[in-house]
Amino acid sequence: MMSSDSQQKPYLADRQQVACSQCVLSNLCLPRNLDESDTEQFEHLVNKSHPIQPGEHIFRAGDKFQSISAVRAGCFKSYIIDKNGEEQVLGFYLPGEIIGFDAIHEQTHKANVVALDTSSVCGLSFDSVSEMARQLPLLQEELFRVMSLQISELAANAADLSADERIARLLYSLSSRFASRGYSSKEFNLSMSRRDIASNLRLATETVSRVLARFQSAGIISVNRKKVAILDLDKLRELARRDAPSLSGE
Amino acid sequence: MSTTTRFPNELITKYGLAGPRYTSYPTALQFHESFDDEAYRRNINSSNNDLIPRPLSLYVHLPFCQQLCYYCACNKKVTRNTQLAEEYLYRLDKEIEMQGDLFDNDRQVIQLHFGGGTPTYYDDAQLKHIVDQLSRNFLFSRSSSREFSIEIDPRTVDEERIANLGDIGFNRVSMGIQDFDPAVQKAVNRIQDEAATLRLIDAARQSGFNSVSVDLIYGLPLQTPQSFERTIDSVLSVRPDRLSVYNYAHLPHLFRAQRMIKQDDVPKPEVRLRLLDSTIRKLVEAGYVYIGMDHFALPDDELALAREDGTLQRNFQGYSTCRQTDLVGMGVSAIGKVGNSFVQNLKDIRAWESSLDDNKLPVWRGLQLNREDCIRREVISAIMCQGQVLFEKFEEKFDIDFCDHFALELESLKPLEIDGLVEIQEQRIDVTATGLLLLRAIGMKFDEYLIKDMHGKSYSKVI
Repeated sequence: MMSSDSQQKPYLADRQQVACSQCVLSNLCLPRNLDESDTEQFEHLVNKSHPIQPGEHIFRAGDKFQSISAVRAGCFKSYIIDKNGEEQVLGFYLPGEIIGFDAIHEQTHKANVVALDTSSVCGLSFDSVSEMARQLPLLQEELFRVMSLQISELAANAADLSADERIARLLYSLSSRFASRGYSSKEFNLSMSRRDIASNLRLATETVSRVLARFQSAGIISVNRKKVAILDLDKLRELARRDAPSLSGE
Repeated sequence: MSTTTRFPNELITKYGLAGPRYTSYPTALQFHESFDDEAYRRNINSSNNDLIPRPLSLYVHLPFCQQLCYYCACNKKVTRNTQLAEEYLYRLDKEIEMQGDLFDNDRQVIQLHFGGGTPTYYDDAQLKHIVDQLSRNFLFSRSSSREFSIEIDPRTVDEERIANLGDIGFNRVSMGIQDFDPAVQKAVNRIQDEAATLRLIDAARQSGFNSVSVDLIYGLPLQTPQSFERTIDSVLSVRPDRLSVYNYAHLPHLFRAQRMIKQDDVPKPEVRLRLLDSTIRKLVEAGYVYIGMDHFALPDDELALAREDGTLQRNFQGYSTCRQTDLVGMGVSAIGKVGNSFVQNLKDIRAWESSLDDNKLPVWRGLQLNREDCIRREVISAIMCQGQVLFEKFEEKFDIDFCDHFALELESLKPLEIDGLVEIQEQRIDVTATGLLLLRAIGMKFDEYLIKDMHGKSYSKVI
């Protein structure tokens, strides 16, 4: 199981020592509610990856589904190619977030997933995880919770929001996600380009910059190249929530 | 800056060593050919992908001149063959198109500068053509605060041309004067009518140019403090908004044209000191603000205001008020700056034209700045533009302990502090009024490349 994973996914090392309990993401990742001995059991399922370079893919649409990946470090984007050959960005994944759930029902990955930064992931055979989840209710709960989180995010993206609202939502979401990872909620470096953001939010690239520039003039944020500082988190939250389905989880 | 009661002659002599002008850091000496057009494109892509891409500044180099000025160290071609100049324009059209394609089309051009050579070697129709081609391929800002400037040789324009240049879209102009004294003019082969020049400066004002700048050079052959004072008085009578007073660097082994100047005619160091002293004194007495390096401006001119509020920048043209832009350099030898990289076009006209004929970007060389370069660039910029370095800002921005990181440099500044050029405190460095005359010498202390290589580069004397 492990070795065939490594064959298909060369970035996954052959069974490296993984210590989930010591991982900096231990309060975010799948085994977060498990006790010590269960966590140890869980660790046996995990393959740690080599560093993944920006531009390197970990999943391609059409790949047979075998494992899900938890982001250890860096940032990934998932995208599909639409009928015009254009890239449509589906979402971004930060450390602690799980990639690959979309592949479950057809046992095939639907989206391409590529690293935006130097990154690393932990690969988990989904069969093994589900098997363990059947025995450990806390793990099963966590799996469902994470899947549900991702689904509700997508639902929110489908709502008819203005450009301002979409961008505020994304910024707010990223801010919260960075905060829960121990980074500042107020200042963070984005790995995704304005093009990626535009594609994800279904806006024109110029619109993204125009809105960000407007937020900056209004003193809500400060932008420098790819770095964002949130100056008025309350205002941002307000812009993000107006008429919108509630933000999930955060 | 208040005039120091006594011009610090000995200090200027002492620190009058070779020194770069730091229109960029690292300086062009660090550019290398392994930075190619691919590297340039990568940097452009990256800048296009910024959340809010920087607006653009365009520089166009027009190298042709009708006559040779002997002091000249610019990239130029003296010719009466207008055909050559036209052929240059065809290629320039192409380069503008190619470069325009590379930059996202929502990036506004807020600054434009035509330099050379003599941009006004070309007639108004040709200059209009270039501006039109630029506006077709780049997005011009429509704001009235945009700075579209052109260098003018007063001998090539009249009032009508000035008005036309205003119509074409230029709102700033810098006029080459150098010196009105007939003997000096003869010695440098630049005979220029004083009255006509002054009239043109007035005409520029009438035509609505926002800022009229004048170029002077001290240290030219046969100059004396008295003769130069006369030139300055004359220039002051029309009260230009800005003056650039450059120091003539006699480097005939580097610049062919300068071989026409007799070494003996070039003012000796003591005379140069007096020239500089009386120039600064006169201008400050007339109400001008000394910006630093070679620039003076009226107190309500943007440069002076920018210096006041700390927003002054420095670029290849000298001091500027423009907020952070990426610079696109077009034409032979032109230098650009995109993100954390510099790029320079081929220096030879034929090579530049040849490259474009082959549909290739005419990139000669460049430099990718590393983190250390970026940090030092900002320190030097703070020295040159704000006259102060506040350690906290650097510690926050770059996550360093300033005193630790720059321990050697701070040590090397101690002699300058003893000499009264800077004041060093626990959390800051301040440039004194004296130090303002010797900014380069201070900046040099943070130049990693100079520090590494203390010997043998031919910079011009600081003074």
